[in-house]
Amino acid sequence: MTSLRLVRAELRKLTTTKMPWAFFAVLATITGITAVAVVLGTDADGSKGFISTAADQKSLMAFAYNGLVIAGLFGAIAVAREYGHDTVVPTFLIEPRRHRAVLAQFAAMIVGGAVIGFVGTALTMVAVAIALTATDYGFLLSVGDAAQLLVASSFASATGALLGAGIGTFVRNTGGAVAALVLVLLIAPPLVVQLVSETISWVPGSLALVASGLADEPGMFAALIAMAAWAAIPAMIGLLAVQRRDVV
Amino acid sequence: MSNDPAITSSSRTTRTQQRGPSTAAPALEIDHVTKSYDDDTVITDLSFTVQPGRVTGFLGPNGAGKSTTMKILLDLASADEGSATIGGTRYRDLEDPARTVGVVLEPNAFHPGRSGRNHLRILADGGGFPTERVQEMLTVVGLADAADRRVGAYSMGMRQRLSLAAALLGDPPVLVLDEPGNGLDPQGIRDLRGLLRERAANGDTIFVSSHLLSEVEHLADEVVVLNKGRLVASGSLGELQREETLVRSPSPEGLTKVLQSAGGTVQPLEKDTLLVRGLSIDVIGSRAHQAGIELHELSPHSGSLEDLFMGWTDGTDVDATLDTAKEVQSA
Repeated sequence: MTSLRLVRAELRKLTTTKMPWAFFAVLATITGITAVAVVLGTDADGSKGFISTAADQKSLMAFAYNGLVIAGLFGAIAVAREYGHDTVVPTFLIEPRRHRAVLAQFAAMIVGGAVIGFVGTALTMVAVAIALTATDYGFLLSVGDAAQLLVASSFASATGALLGAGIGTFVRNTGGAVAALVLVLLIAPPLVVQLVSETISWVPGSLALVASGLADEPGMFAALIAMAAWAAIPAMIGLLAVQRRDVV
Repeated sequence: MSNDPAITSSSRTTRTQQRGPSTAAPALEIDHVTKSYDDDTVITDLSFTVQPGRVTGFLGPNGAGKSTTMKILLDLASADEGSATIGGTRYRDLEDPARTVGVVLEPNAFHPGRSGRNHLRILADGGGFPTERVQEMLTVVGLADAADRRVGAYSMGMRQRLSLAAALLGDPPVLVLDEPGNGLDPQGIRDLRGLLRERAANGDTIFVSSHLLSEVEHLADEVVVLNKGRLVASGSLGELQREETLVRSPSPEGLTKVLQSAGGTVQPLEKDTLLVRGLSIDVIGSRAHQAGIELHELSPHSGSLEDLFMGWTDGTDVDATLDTAKEVQSA
């Protein structure tokens, strides 16, 4: 019961500032760019091959990796600013068993991340469907494929938000948390793949493709577990760090 | 802020009736607490108790360790040694901390883009308080009309009122308030004083740090005074104020040496008059007699809190403290 109260409080924190609207604007912008690409874009040979088959359209509308990165930023900023504004102080006064308070915060971030992934994918599908009316091609995505993209994006974005929240809890500074997230998600993976090529199947971008049904290696179950692990490790580090530190 | 609405005293609705006057609020106990940041020891072997049914003022110059002590009590910071408890229980082990202790800490913790009402709603959600309590507390602190404005647009006094509303949300029997009068206008300070006095009269434990010595003098029954992280005085304010002795002697310099060697604090007032603290009137008379020093007057003296504070803290940063007090008083 206490945990549910804490999660409700954390969800209210997320919905009582303008931050969600800023992220909605980001999703809308990406969606708009995708729609414009559908209408105006061509392949190198001048054809519209990139929207000509169901598989091509599925690939175009796959939002899991975008969602993971955007939700990661959402989680990192939302949690780090709690420390920046000291609003974590009343949280820890209400629930001084800090692991409970932080777990409630993580739960709210997972929900927020999943919403970002779902809304991002849904907006993309609607925008692409509308944009396709201006081309010679119809909307070819099956219900099953659409559902897979929605679920994959929601899951990936939930893990991204948790990853960002873990980094935000550990770093506690908004700029630092964003920089750390960019390092972890965007800069480090390609460098690691350069050094050890076998790791390519385990970086977030590859895992998001597998979850969306656009790649096979390392398999769906392993990809979902690996994505969860990417998020769980920083979350655990953040959880441990917050137990020991003075808050103010 | 001079037109700010009153902080009313009807902040409680249920707990007092449920608890009844016979159930005492918990006492706060700081027991041999030491705290360092890197090589800087900010609190040294600090021990004192804050009793229920009293308003206890927590005084000290800037950097004396008052806020750190409060944060240790609230488990926001950890002590290197010793313990801080509320009714014998550490804050983190309290069954329902949000309904046990109401807190105002400096600096106030708000998201500037969130409304005052939503700030309280979040706390009400987390603490499991009825949502009606939010509107009730906004009315109590006089913020009902500004409740839906962004906190970033609030004045300092309004933020302080919102902090008070948050502290009172769970109708707790213990209040730990760090500079609660900061930013309040004179009427607000007066209302706050009334509210705290009323709660103490009902048996609540009220622990208030303040720079405003005149305010503490009006408000507190007890004081705890820190200087450089050490306890320098504690006890009933009335008794402490009567602990001074006025001594007149034709040999003030010789008498000063004698009394200082006996552990007293001696402050010269006029040519032949000394103000002595830390020694009883009997000991002063006896030491003067033993030293063969003639006395023309030996009488108890009631000092102001400001005089006492300067004596306790050796004037450490006291100018800034008094300036702050005078500024607010003249506001």
